[in-house]
Amino acid sequence: MKAPRTLVVGYDGSLDAEDAVRWTFHLANETNANVTVVHAAGMLEHLNAHYASDEIPLALVDIATQCDFDVARLRWLVQDGDACSVLLRTTAPPINADLLVVGSRGHGKRAGLLLGSTSLEVVEHSSTPVVVVPSSHAVSL
Amino acid sequence: MVLVVNGIYDDSGHEEGGHPERPDRITATRAAIDDLHLGSDLIVVSPYAATRQELARVHDGGYLDELGAYCYAGGGDIDPDTYATYDSWSIAKHAAGGGLAVIKELQRRNDGVGFIAARPPGHHALSDRAMGFCLLNNVAVATAQLLSQGERVLIVDWDVHHGNGTQQIFWDEPDVLYVSTHQSPLFPGSGLPEEVGGRHALDRTVNIPFPAGATGDVVRRALDDVAAPIIDAFGPTWVLVSAGFDAHRMDPLADLQLTSGDFAEMARLATSFVSRPGRIAMFLEGGYNLDALRSSIHATLAAALGGAHDVEKPSSGGPGADVAPRVQRERRAALEGLRALEEEETGL
Repeated sequence: MKAPRTLVVGYDGSLDAEDAVRWTFHLANETNANVTVVHAAGMLEHLNAHYASDEIPLALVDIATQCDFDVARLRWLVQDGDACSVLLRTTAPPINADLLVVGSRGHGKRAGLLLGSTSLEVVEHSSTPVVVVPSSHAVSL
Repeated sequence: MVLVVNGIYDDSGHEEGGHPERPDRITATRAAIDDLHLGSDLIVVSPYAATRQELARVHDGGYLDELGAYCYAGGGDIDPDTYATYDSWSIAKHAAGGGLAVIKELQRRNDGVGFIAARPPGHHALSDRAMGFCLLNNVAVATAQLLSQGERVLIVDWDVHHGNGTQQIFWDEPDVLYVSTHQSPLFPGSGLPEEVGGRHALDRTVNIPFPAGATGDVVRRALDDVAAPIIDAFGPTWVLVSAGFDAHRMDPLADLQLTSGDFAEMARLATSFVSRPGRIAMFLEGGYNLDALRSSIHATLAAALGGAHDVEKPSSGGPGADVAPRVQRERRAALEGLRALEEEETGL
C-alpha cells in the first residue's frame, strides 16, 4: 500500500478542527504529502461569510508554522455544502484525496450524538480511508 | 377555484434567536393568503402530526428515533445551519402532516390548488440526516403517500437552493420526476445537469442551475426548453411544487434576481402540467425576506388560481442565456454515457 500523497482535512474553525489540521500537517511532513484544507460553506455563510476562498486563514498559517509545514504545499478550499458532502467530493477529481481527516466534533454538535456528526457520516460513506482525530479539548456534557 | 391550505399549528417553539428560518415567515405567508380575499373559496384543513409509518416511507427509522429523542432532550444546533428545539419534533411532524391533510382534501374535492404553509422547510432533509434548516422532507412524505396510491408525481423545485434531499430520496424512483431550478454555485453544492437519476430512473432528475444574477426570463426559458418536453413525456398525475421564494432579488441568502411576477409565471407553468383539477399542491420551502415572501406567495397563488396580480413585473436581462442549451448538452452526454455503461455491464 502506497503512502497517501494528497491529504484532505476538514476545517470549520473549531478547536477540534485545529487538532485535525495539526495531525494532518505532521503526517504530511512524514510522508511528503500535500494537504488540502477544505471548509464547507453552509446556507448561513451567505449572510456572514467566515472565510474567503482566496485567502488562507491566518489560524491555518499559524498552525503550519508551529508544525514546520511548508505552506507552499497547502491548498485552501471553500466549497458550498454540508461538511460531509464537501469532504466526500474531494475524493473525486480534481482533488483525488487519498486520505480524509476530520476532527471528532465540530461547531454545534453534542458529544456522543450521532445526529449531525460529520465524522461518523464521513466514515460511513467514504470509500477512501478516513482518520478521525480525537479531541484534546475538554467537553462539557 | 378553491385554495386548500393547512390550518395553523403553533410553530413558535421552533425558533433560534437571529436565525432567518423563523416563525415570522409563516405570519407573512398567512398574510399573503389573506391578501387574496378568497372568502368561502379558502378551505382550511386541520393539520395533524404525520405518523411514523408515513414518515418512514422516506426517512430511516433510526433517524426518526434520534431526531425525536434529540428534540425531547432539549435540542440544539445539529449543524452550523440547522437547529432543533424541544418543540421541533412535533412542529416538523405537523408540517409533514399538513401536506398530507391538504392532499387528502384535494382528492376529496377533485378540485382546487393546495398550499402548505408550514415550517421548518423540508427539501434538504435526506433520508437519514437533517441539514439546510430542514428536519423532515415534507414534499417527499407527500410524494411517497401519492406513490403508495399508484400516482406518478412531478416535483417542481424552484427554491434557489438545490433540493438535494428530495433528489436523494427519489433518485432511483421511476414514478417521480424531479425538476429543480437553482443558483449554482451555492449551498448545497449539488444539482449539476449531469445528475440525471439512478439506474432505474434515468432521465427522472432534471437539474437546471443558474449563475448569480440570473433573471426570470432565462429561468422560464430553461423550464420551457429543457423541462417541459421531459414532463410531457413523463405524464404526471400529480404536481407538487417545492415553492421556495429565496430566488427573489431581495432575498438575503442568494443572488438570483427574480421578482414576484416571475413566481407567478412559474406557477402558471406548473399548473399547466396538471392533468386533472385538484392535483397540484405547493409546499413552502425557503424565502427569508418577509416582504418578498409575502408578495411572491400572493403572486404565485393568484396565478395558480387563474387570477391576476399587480405587484412586480417579471424580470429579464440577467446572465444565463446559455443555460438551457448547456444543460441539454450536458444531460444528453450524461444519459448517453450511463446507458452505454449499462449496456456494457449487461452485455447487450
